[in-house]
Formats: sequence, C-alpha cells, structure tokens
Amino acid sequence: MSSVIFLVDMNAFFISCEMTRNRHLHGLPAAVAGDPDRRLGIILAANYEARALGVRTAMTVHEALRKCPKIKLVPPDHDFYLKKSEEVMDLLYGFSSIIEPNSIDEAWLDMTGSLQLFGPPVVSAQRIMQEIEQQLGLWCSIGISENKFLAKMASSIKKPQGITTLWINEIQEKMWPLPVDDLYGVGRKTAEKLTGYGIRTIGDLAAIDEGLLAGWFGKTGRMLSRHARGIDPDPVLPHQTDAAKSIGRSITLPQNLTHADEAEPILLSLADSVGRTARKNNRMGRTVQVVIKFSDFTVTTRQMNIPLSNSTQHIYQAGCQLFRRSWKPSQEVRLLGITLSGFEIEGADRQISLLGKIDASAADKRQVAVDQAMDRIRDRFGEKSIKRARQIDAGENVDSSDEKGGG
Amino acid sequence: MKIICSRDRLMEAVSIVQKAVATRSTLPVLDGILIEADTGIKLTGYDLETGIECLVDATVSEAGSIVVNARMFGDIIRKLPDDIVNIETTPNMSMQIECSSTHFSIKGMKAEDYPKIPVVEKNQAVSINQNILKDMIRQTLFAVSTDESRPILNGCFLNCDGKTIEMVAIDGFRLALRRNQVEEELPSMKFIIPGRAIGEVGRILQANDTKVEIYPSQNHIRFDAGKVKLVSRLIQGEYMNYKGIIPQTAETTMTISPAAMLAAIERASLVITSEERRFPVRLTMPDDETLVVSANTDIGTLREEIMVAMTGNRIDIDFNPRYFIDALKVIDEDEISVVFNGSMGPCVLRPIDGQEFAYLVLPLRR
Repeated sequence: MSSVIFLVDMNAFFISCEMTRNRHLHGLPAAVAGDPDRRLGIILAANYEARALGVRTAMTVHEALRKCPKIKLVPPDHDFYLKKSEEVMDLLYGFSSIIEPNSIDEAWLDMTGSLQLFGPPVVSAQRIMQEIEQQLGLWCSIGISENKFLAKMASSIKKPQGITTLWINEIQEKMWPLPVDDLYGVGRKTAEKLTGYGIRTIGDLAAIDEGLLAGWFGKTGRMLSRHARGIDPDPVLPHQTDAAKSIGRSITLPQNLTHADEAEPILLSLADSVGRTARKNNRMGRTVQVVIKFSDFTVTTRQMNIPLSNSTQHIYQAGCQLFRRSWKPSQEVRLLGITLSGFEIEGADRQISLLGKIDASAADKRQVAVDQAMDRIRDRFGEKSIKRARQIDAGENVDSSDEKGGG
Repeated sequence: MKIICSRDRLMEAVSIVQKAVATRSTLPVLDGILIEADTGIKLTGYDLETGIECLVDATVSEAGSIVVNARMFGDIIRKLPDDIVNIETTPNMSMQIECSSTHFSIKGMKAEDYPKIPVVEKNQAVSINQNILKDMIRQTLFAVSTDESRPILNGCFLNCDGKTIEMVAIDGFRLALRRNQVEEELPSMKFIIPGRAIGEVGRILQANDTKVEIYPSQNHIRFDAGKVKLVSRLIQGEYMNYKGIIPQTAETTMTISPAAMLAAIERASLVITSEERRFPVRLTMPDDETLVVSANTDIGTLREEIMVAMTGNRIDIDFNPRYFIDALKVIDEDEISVVFNGSMGPCVLRPIDGQEFAYLVLPLRR
C-alpha cells in the first residue's frame, strides 16, 4: 500500500494567534510587525483582511501603512506563538503518531495507518481542519499526497482553509503548468538560472534529463529533477529537532555597529540564547562560529574550537575572540550571529582528562551554577524573566536559525 | 630576471614552499611565492606564521625578483612537459614561462611588497640527524591538541638537555613522548613549535643521516635542512609538567606485541563507526595469560583474544580506540610493555628496556 502524507500549514499563523486573544482584531486589517521605528519594522504576518488590501509578509511597516492606513499593528510575541504551535501539534497527535514539524506553523503527518480510523484522505483532512478551527480558533491548509514533497506543494495551491490532493498521477495536470519558481526549494537565484536555460514551468524541468541538471547544479540538480517528477523518498521523521547539527542565533541590528564594545552585549544575548537551547536539549558543543554581515552585505564567518561546553560564558568568550579577529575598525556591522556545533554524543564526557583539575576551576563552576539558576528561573517564569546586567537594552528580537521561522 | 632550470627541480621546490603560502589572505601578495634569482634561485612562501625557503639549481643570466600567485604558478609548472624551463620577467611585472613549445605569460607582483621572514641568528645551534628528527615528529605529532582555547598544547614541545632530546605532544586525554640520546653535549633549550609548522618540518626532512641544524631565537625557530629552510613562530608559555603526569606506579604490567594489539583494536573500531563513537573498546582479562579486546555497539560486536605475559591485577577498562591506534601505529618495536593503573588511572606504553618513548592514554569512565 502506498503512503498517505499530509502537510498541515497554519494560515497567517502569528496574526491568527493574536486574533484568538484579541477579539477586537476580528474583521479588521491587522498584522504582526516589528517595532516601526527600527529597521526591524517589517510585517511578519498579515491577516487576510490586510492581504486583500495589498499588505504582504516582509513588507516594511512604512509601506504597509501607505497601502492600508487603518491597519492594526501588533508587536510579536514568540513565546505565545510557540505555545499555540504546541497546542496545534498536540491536536495533530490525535490523528497520527508520526509527525515531523517543519517549522513553527507546519508539520507533516504520516496518515497511512490512520485512515481506517478517520476515513478517506479528504474526509480525514476536513476533520483535522474543523477541529483546529473549533478548538483553537485557527485556520489551516492541508496538502495530501504519497510523499512529503508533493504534500508540501499541494498545501500551497489553495489558501486559506484549502484541502488539496496532489497524487503522483495528478502532477501533470496540477503541478507541471506552474512556474518553476513555485517549486518548493527553488530560490530566486536558481529560478533565474533555470529561466536562463529556457526552463519556465515545473513541467519543463521534469522533462530535462536528471544527469544534465546534476551537471548544472550538482546534488541540488538531482533533487530538483526528482521533485519536479514528484519523487521524494524521504520518510516522515518524528522529532527532527533533536538531530540538529548546530544551534545558532543571529540578529540584524537596528543600527550598524561601529565599535567592538557595542558588539559585546549583543554577542552575550546571542550566546545566552544558544546556550539556553543547548542546555535544554542536553547538548554540548566544541565549535563556536561567528557570522558577521557588514554594511556592504559582505559576510565573514570564523570558527574556533573550545573545550566541550554549553555554558553561556564560554560561548560568549569564544564569540568575542572571533569577533575581534574578524572585524576591522573601519567596517560597519549590520548582522551578528553565533552558532554552536560539533556536538559530542552523550557519554563523551566520560573520557578522563589530564586537564580535569584545571577545567573545573572555581570560576567555571560558578558559571555553570549561574546558568543553572537562570535556566530554573526561566523554566518557571518565562524566557524574559531574567537577564544578565550587560544584556539590558541589547539583543532583542534574536532570530533563531535552528528552527525555521514562519508566518 | 632571466633563468633556466629543470622543470622537475622547480616543481619539487614549488611544492615545498607552497605549504607555507597563506590561503584566502587579505593581501594578494601573501597568496604568492617570492622568486629571487642571484647565483641560483630561491623560492619563498610565508604566511606570517611559518616561512619556507627553498634553493633551486638554475642558470641565472640576469638577477632579479618577483612575486607570483602560488596556486597559479604551481599549477603551471605542474602541467608543463618534463623539459628545461625558461623564465623571464619584464619591467612591467609580467612573467614569461617557456618550456618546449609552450609559452605562458602571467602577471606578477613587486618583490618589495613581500613580507620578510624574521631573521634568526645562528648563535646557538642543535644539530641532529634528519631521520631521527623526522621519526620523532611522526611519532608525536598526532597527539598535538587542536583545541585553540589552550594554545600551549597546540604544538610539539622540543626539549634539549645534555645529551638528550625529547619531543612531547599532549592533547589533554593522551600524551606522546619520544626521547633520543645524541653523542655530543647539547645546549639546554626548550620551545613549543606550532603543530602545523613541525608537521611541515617532518615532511621536508630526508629519511637519511644528513644533519638538520636548529636555531632558536626569542620568538622564532629556524630549521636548516640542506636546500630548504623553515622559520616558524614559537608558541609562548610554560609547557605542562609532562614528567609529573607519567606515573611511575603499575597495578598491572603486561608484555605484548604492539602489532597484535593494533590489529585487534582496529578490528574493534570497525563496529565503532562514527555514529557509534560513544562506545568504547573494552580491555578485560578472563585469566592471567589472555587479554580480551572487545567492542559491543548497536551495529555489532567484536571479541578477540591476545596472549600476554602479565604481572599484577587483572584489568577491566574502557578506552577510546582512536588513542590506542594512533600510538600503536608509530611504535616500531616487536614487543612493548603496557602498564595499567586501574579503571580510572592512566595506561602507559613503553619499551621493554630503555626510555625511548612513552605513550599515555586515559580511560573512559563506565
């Protein structure tokens, strides 16, 4: 029997979450947006009333106000969206136990074994959509196919609240006529290159020899070719987040940085957030990487090894050292990021060290104690309940790069 | 500049100095090789940390100097037919390379812009056979730490004292030490040479008994080996007291064939793949004559028995197999003595007689 995979995509997720707790937003154009006074002031998610007036995700607040002066803007509250996302996932677990979250607002479900309980694919999908709306007050679109890739493609065909099947025998009719940049995974650059070769639709791409595409794009070429022909052997993998190879955070700064001193509190916030995630997941890494984007949009990355750690202070110190090595006083910094990787699998700390006594110095023990105390406070009172003194007024709106964002 | 030389000799020299040329540096001149022609020619690569100079026999009809991109120049020489090469530079910094019926013209840079390798005076010198130093490097380099938070461990420690030369590397979990006796009295000197530079020295040295001269200064060290010279920055700081780390005690002592032990541990690591790295290799003794090497992971198991001569307590200890493999691979003896100090104490591999080497490996906790 072939598989049945659903992709459940939450429509206008952030603003829909806001609408569940702010009844006055109903029926009005509204959007979640960063602080309008800062460069971060872009639309993160607009509701369908605002979209009807031309407001789009990633538009600047300024532009959005011009299109729609009456728009209600709400600042983002990621903790709340995360909580809502967990509620959605909990509800989905009622329909299948094989669930792979793809981002905060979408997940794949392997429904192969559940259809006997809930009826044919489209009927099961209607039930999921209904329950999400009735119990959580949120909207979703569902794509249905034999594999993850086609389910993802199907979900984007009809929004909001659409249920679309895209079985392999339907791709010629439903997917091949679409422009090639509608193919999930094709970015602007790839699309430009493909258009240059005269490939305009997904059907054109499917007709090209896989070997030829591999010649042009390498591995990606093979993947594109297979996807265009509806082939995707990847299974739905539950708990994908545990297998992350790195934990990273980055921030686009409200104003360009011109002094190394200004970078330090920001690096501390980033390191703190990375360390917190690493500690939550019980991971320790030995590689710290820093990414710097300069005002001319050139990007530098630098990394170094540290003794196995997930302590905020260790990540921060390595980050500062790397920053000082990469930055020249004449350069203005636009974006900063820190990543921890090189995770050691559980048990590696069993290796006895000659340096053991040096490593566990009193200062280090205090740092570990500080991390643990702060983690416990945050577990009880929320992520913003405590911060280090140096972090005050720095590093708000840190983006997470180990989870894909979503609107 | 106008020179004639053999393509093979030039190729050999380029390959040697290329190892010290910076990659992806901010100054284009640092990506280059400096070529100076006088009586012969001298090629130089220098990444501001390690510098290598190499002399090449050549007929020089016009002296001069130029810097050319190392990758470009190396690739050109590599692709030339095996013949005589004519090289000529023009005043506008272009280089003509002719060989058989091939003619290249490439852009060069001014030699004056090339950084100068620090001068190391020949005040004090240590002179040893190239093959001895080459072996000492091969037998310790693997234990140099790559953990940049502890810079003193990122190099090999070279300790000359009386008639003894020692080379030591420690990465925190293991230690490698080689010791050699020389005939003549040496000046007392100690320095930490960066792992990358000492690795290059190991490659440059010949496996014969011609001498290599070593000259230190406050911040640098220079190796003169025939036509090739290498200058490296020294790592500053106090090295670890390695003599205090190597235990003189022994709970268990066994005599073993390093080849048999290496083969068994290499077989054990076939079931300890990169995903299974958390699993140890286990050394146990069911009786006083048998050492059992075993591994038990999610993908399979291995069990192998080795005959040994043992005194002291039977053992039951877990280790990272990598550390044993690295050490056993560089031991040339047919039989060695292996000392264990319980399941938490260090294990030391030594010669049956003498003090030529010591490899220390720390266990994994259960």
